[in-house]
Amino acid sequence: MTEKQPTYNEAAQRLEAIVATLERGGLGLDETLKLYEEGAALLKTCQAELVAAEGRLNELRLEDLEQELQTQEAENQD
Amino acid sequence: MTGRGDVTTGPLAVGQFVSMVKRTLSHEPMFQRQAIKGEVSQWKPYASGHTYFTLRDDEGQISAVIWKGRCSIHPSIKEGSEVVVTANLDLYVKRGNIQLIVERIEPINALGAMEEARRHLVERLRNEGELDRVRHQPPFAPKHIAIVTGEGSAALADMQRLIDNRWPGLRRTVIGVLVQGDRAAEEIVRALALTRRLANPSVAALRGEPPVDLVIVGRGGGSPEDLWAFNLEPVVRAILASPVPVVSAVGHESDLLVSDLVADIRASTPSNAIERSVPIRAELEQWLDETDERLNHATLRTFGDARQQLVALHARLKVAPLAGINGGKRSMLALQSKLNRATEARFAHERTRIAGLEASLHSIHPQRVLERGYAMTQTADGEVITNASMLTVGQRFNLQFVDGAAEAAVTEIHTTEE
Repeated sequence: MTEKQPTYNEAAQRLEAIVATLERGGLGLDETLKLYEEGAALLKTCQAELVAAEGRLNELRLEDLEQELQTQEAENQD
Repeated sequence: MTGRGDVTTGPLAVGQFVSMVKRTLSHEPMFQRQAIKGEVSQWKPYASGHTYFTLRDDEGQISAVIWKGRCSIHPSIKEGSEVVVTANLDLYVKRGNIQLIVERIEPINALGAMEEARRHLVERLRNEGELDRVRHQPPFAPKHIAIVTGEGSAALADMQRLIDNRWPGLRRTVIGVLVQGDRAAEEIVRALALTRRLANPSVAALRGEPPVDLVIVGRGGGSPEDLWAFNLEPVVRAILASPVPVVSAVGHESDLLVSDLVADIRASTPSNAIERSVPIRAELEQWLDETDERLNHATLRTFGDARQQLVALHARLKVAPLAGINGGKRSMLALQSKLNRATEARFAHERTRIAGLEASLHSIHPQRVLERGYAMTQTADGEVITNASMLTVGQRFNLQFVDGAAEAAVTEIHTTEE
């Protein structure tokens, strides 16, 4: 909870910076590998964010959603 | 045809007189295209298309007519409406009635009071600092959009189509509400309350979906009255209370509502709201693919360079140390033989020297001398006497021969003078 998951944009910006650094070259192998691993993890984060945005298409009239939420919350309290 | 002369010559026909009055009235600029404010009474739209009514206030009243198609009549105008008309005064000669021929009629009470309330609301919000508040940053790629808009409206259809073009299957919850009329504000406020619940992570977890991270509230274009709910304080406060970014998307480009002033994003139209908040997924995917490739390529290049360097190093390693060893070996051997030669020479030299020394030692040994017929003189103490001056007359001394010794005494001493 303490470490916030980066948003897509944060991850993408960091990723861009990493790739630019790697493309400039001149780094040691250790550092290159470290950056690569961070970049690969960020790529996964970004891809996961895209997938995470797929989901249900709900279209409800106001009262129906109110009802639905109420029922759900009541069930949860039992 | 008529003139002052007629007045003095006899009575006027009433028709003539009324016609004169009509002409005089029509020449008075005060009575033409005059804006007049009052209340509508006896509002009577006729089947012919003309509308008759009386414009009145507490002090007076006057008949008015709107000829068919002469001007647009706001649908809210009814018995008792406060209106402003722009009209010409006319006199209907046949009946001698004075009436207003209306060229323009606008309701003032409703819109005027509403305008006033809106101004006050904006003023209040400005004083509270809400107009300058730090806006929520909209997510770059929303995971769950809530849309509050007219149920089955054209605006909703436009938004749905645009979302599906840009990000097929993007998770969304559409809450259908009334967006105009008396109950619109109340329904919009209730819908926004629902979006707050859907944005709550624990409620979202209960529903098995990500929390709402963007809210779009709006409707398509309409008259100022149609859009008015978005100028009302409850709606504005509900937008301000949202924990997640809210996009206000009301009407057309030119419509500016209070909801636009307080929202995190002001979209000019519902479609614009989608364009501004939903990225094109295919573009993001393409960027990710390219970035993936760049990342791998750059890394592999660095490693490839390193490996090449390593291969080269390895090849050099294979050769280089051996060359060193060989060289070392060679130089060591050379050194060794040099050393050997030097040592040998040294030894040989020493041997010769020692042999020489031996020979000379041998030759100078007293024994050898004695063998040749010499005798050695020694004092009684064994000290070799080398000079005559060491002796005194009468002194006894020994003579050492090769095969024995004899005792002698000095009888006379002769030293050699130089």
